[in-house]
Amino acid sequence: MIVAGIACFLVLIGCTHVRPAAPTEPERAASTVPASGSATPPSGTALPAPTGPAAAEPGNDSKNAAQSAAAAAGSSSQSGAGGSSRPKPKPKPSNLKSPGNAPAAAAGAPAAAAKPTDAPASDTSARQSTPSAPALDLGALEQRLKETRAIGLFTKLSLKNQVDDLLNQFRAFHGRQGATSLAELRQRYDLLLLKVLSLLQDGDPALAASISSSREALWGILADPVKFRQTVT
Amino acid sequence: MARRIFILVLTVSAVFGGARWLSAEQPSMVRDLAATIALQGMPCDKVVDAKRNGDSDYTASCKDGNRYHVFVDSTGRVVVKKL
Repeated sequence: MIVAGIACFLVLIGCTHVRPAAPTEPERAASTVPASGSATPPSGTALPAPTGPAAAEPGNDSKNAAQSAAAAAGSSSQSGAGGSSRPKPKPKPSNLKSPGNAPAAAAGAPAAAAKPTDAPASDTSARQSTPSAPALDLGALEQRLKETRAIGLFTKLSLKNQVDDLLNQFRAFHGRQGATSLAELRQRYDLLLLKVLSLLQDGDPALAASISSSREALWGILADPVKFRQTVT
Repeated sequence: MARRIFILVLTVSAVFGGARWLSAEQPSMVRDLAATIALQGMPCDKVVDAKRNGDSDYTASCKDGNRYHVFVDSTGRVVVKKL
């Protein structure tokens, strides 16, 4: 009888030990998003990436903060009469196009936690800028990739290696030492960005959205010799 | 007799509890290794086993039968070698 009681007690301890783990993960995810969001302002002048997509939308519909990021760019003029019925089907195709929208549409608690932080930030700074506002510079991107828990240590190191390789190729290109053309570099840049996005889209959708929205801004830095020298030293 | 049973129950619970604790660590490492192998362009549908050889040094076995040595070399580069 006593033994059975002890066994039950141990099982109960096991059950109670499991439960705390589940709530902590959403908390972590929720806490990392604001943390990374708060970390970006000091490092990067061009604020939070999430404001990029979110900034375009609150201007049109303040309620649907992040659900129709790409749709807002294309159909901002259509939001007049049939706005309530049409935007609903649009997020689905947009999810396929860019992972940046996947968080808002599909993700649960982390995305929901990210939305409130995005909205106030977009009110302050993003309205001044155009919808194609640059979200992340290289430093901010590096910092956020370091902080994210969506990818493991080996993967981060491997990504860093590949980013360093690409930066060396850009260095050689700007120094007219390499044989690679700008088109080839663009291809490699796109490929690397796709790898990063595919790694992040499930674990850290907010960061994936930031990177996706700042793709052209990052390319602008890399392709311009002056900006490249100023940023990458 | 009761004492023996008690010790047995303690041992079993410790073994299973420890195994569960270890298995909580394992999935993240397995996912990390799978992502690393994929990043290097090597085929691996799913990592089914990962053996730690040392610091930043693993041997990963994939479901399709491929085995890889994943480690960080002296220059800080992640190397994936097919075994």
